[in-house]
Amino acid sequence: MKPSRLLPLPLLLSMLLLAPMSTALAAPPAAQAAQADDFPTSGRVEYVLECMQKHDGKYEYLYKCSCVVDRIAKSLRYDDYVAMSVALRNQSLAGERGGEFRDEVSVRNMASKYKEIEAGANKACAVPQR
Amino acid sequence: MSFQSRLTCLAGGLTACLALVAGSTFAADSDTARLTKDPKNWAMQAGSLDNHRYSELKQITSKNAKNLQVAWTFSTGVLRGHEGGPLVIGDTMYLHSPFPNKVFAIALEDQSIRWKYEPKQDPTVIPVMCCDTVNRGLAYANGKIFLQQADTTLVALDAKTGNELWKVKVGDPKLGETTTNTPHVFKDKVLTGISGGEFGVRGRITAHDINTGKILWKAYSTGPDNELIVDPNKTMTWTDGKMAPIGANSSLKTWQGDQWKLGGGTTWGWYSYDPELNTVYYGTGNPSTWNPRQRPGDNKWSMTIFARDLDTGMAKWVYQMTPHDEWDYDGVNEMILADIKVKGKPRKALVHFDRNGFAYTMDRVSGELLVAEKYDPVVNWATHIDMKSGRPQVVAKYSTDKNGPDVNTKGVCPSALGTKDQQPASFSPRTGLFYVPTNHVCMDYEPFQIEYTAGQPYVGSTLSMYAAPNSHGGMGNFIAWDAGTGKMVWSKPERFSVWSGALSTAGDVVFYGTLEGYLKAVDLNGKELWKFKTPSGIIGNVTTWEYKGKQYVGVLSGIGGWAGIGLAAGLTKGTEGLGAVGGYKDLAKYTELGGVLTVFALPDR
Repeated sequence: MKPSRLLPLPLLLSMLLLAPMSTALAAPPAAQAAQADDFPTSGRVEYVLECMQKHDGKYEYLYKCSCVVDRIAKSLRYDDYVAMSVALRNQSLAGERGGEFRDEVSVRNMASKYKEIEAGANKACAVPQR
Repeated sequence: MSFQSRLTCLAGGLTACLALVAGSTFAADSDTARLTKDPKNWAMQAGSLDNHRYSELKQITSKNAKNLQVAWTFSTGVLRGHEGGPLVIGDTMYLHSPFPNKVFAIALEDQSIRWKYEPKQDPTVIPVMCCDTVNRGLAYANGKIFLQQADTTLVALDAKTGNELWKVKVGDPKLGETTTNTPHVFKDKVLTGISGGEFGVRGRITAHDINTGKILWKAYSTGPDNELIVDPNKTMTWTDGKMAPIGANSSLKTWQGDQWKLGGGTTWGWYSYDPELNTVYYGTGNPSTWNPRQRPGDNKWSMTIFARDLDTGMAKWVYQMTPHDEWDYDGVNEMILADIKVKGKPRKALVHFDRNGFAYTMDRVSGELLVAEKYDPVVNWATHIDMKSGRPQVVAKYSTDKNGPDVNTKGVCPSALGTKDQQPASFSPRTGLFYVPTNHVCMDYEPFQIEYTAGQPYVGSTLSMYAAPNSHGGMGNFIAWDAGTGKMVWSKPERFSVWSGALSTAGDVVFYGTLEGYLKAVDLNGKELWKFKTPSGIIGNVTTWEYKGKQYVGVLSGIGGWAGIGLAAGLTKGTEGLGAVGGYKDLAKYTELGGVLTVFALPDR
């Protein structure tokens, strides 16, 4: 789950600012999607199951992880959440083709942005970062 | 059995026929080709001998695909990248996993496991697999399942029981030789290849007797004529606008000294077979090392399409796509055999979407080059293919050889992953078009000097990859291609590369998977009809079959960078604490954990 390398924050911010807005398929600004709240039930359940597993399956995390995914769903459209969380997971993808996720700046930005959003949601829902 | 001997059988009655079979040097054909003709089955990885990845089934149509829902799922219990797909024969599915290369026989009736096979393999094979521990699936013939294990063992199993029938080793992992390809059953033989182009492996394919595993012939990609199995006077290649014999020592002449011995040209792609021509077609991979300065010459026959006689292995024609590769544009991608109009004239064509960004249409009988055009407009390493010489016209500033070692050659399109890697395209005979999953990625490439050590990577370059600049910002496209004219018909942008094999059907639906984990259905204009988020990124190939009157579509997900781990791992242990999934406990009988096959069907109404 950990990205293999993280960029220094100032560099990251400058890249976010410089990223051309016209690149339709790169991560869109989170703001425009804020009201969507369009996660399907299966997407929420999947998140909760994975999150509970990460916390040793403790029952209290049913509530805490639900809290986290509901918060994430308020800040991202589902399609963007899927792409951004995939960008983060695949930072550690083995082999040459993992380069597609590690080297491309817009994909790294998606990964960092998602990490940030999830960390904020974890904090608000009393879920320790793992 | 040949057509002629069948005739003799008919004319001469049973006794003469038996005598003929017993005395014949050719074993009887396998049932594979016949099984592929029934669209209820999916009896080869590509669905057919000609690599069409097309199904005649049409219960699922462009009208109702939006109603598809999950019918069942099956987890392999392995977490690495899942390529290939299941075979379906009658009431049984046969499914593989990445290393350790488990095999499952699954009853379609209730998805219970009929048998399971797990080979014992030395895990030291893992670090010598360049590109994850993938396996591209099983083959079937005459009641046997064929598995090509990672450690180069080709094994035949009894399809009823899973018992081992024979095994044969085709390489040595200590030398960096591994295997990822599916075995291919053509007529009475099973053919397999080798991986390890990053380890200085000398590529070859071997043809085996399906009953004993005995090697019937072995043909190398590089080296002396007898080991290539070529006839200097009869094996043809495209030369000055026509076909001409390749001449003596065609490979040796294009390498410095003994370099051909480490020459690469591996053979891990998707082969095809034309029964009328009795010809097998496949491609060879990159020459070793990646540093082109260390291997002057055209490095034949790396990066080459081979057409060989199935019975003898003799090469009928060859065509090298990327002479003296400087970018790792392996030529192994699928060879699709299609009878189409090329520039207005009906042809028995071979269509090949190469990693180098050009889509080639060849006459598969003669080997003539008919069409070679870019299937992604951003391809820039060559301006075009010169149709007279058949050679790419390389742009000097993108030549990593001219720029030399320790110089970073920037902005080369496509990247080393190619405009397309192995993920196979689909051909629909209904539309005459090809549906192609592609990468839209460029790279900076810096070769460096390297010494060869057996079993160690022999790469000699560093590279960095990024989305094609000044485009839509995404790293992939799913396209429709007209191979008769060399023109793109439509292109559907994707955020990430499309690494899943496509499927087209008589219901006028085209399916493919994405790295986000979506299985998508599009219509013949590329319009998205439906998508479903599976537990992980999809690098498997979409498959369809029919069971008890219902059409199913299935695809493996599991990319290596694992998603859906909660679902997968949550069921292994500590389920007591998981009130929410308590009801899943009885799944243990049916499923394992890890990479997931998700199967879809239309709802009963």
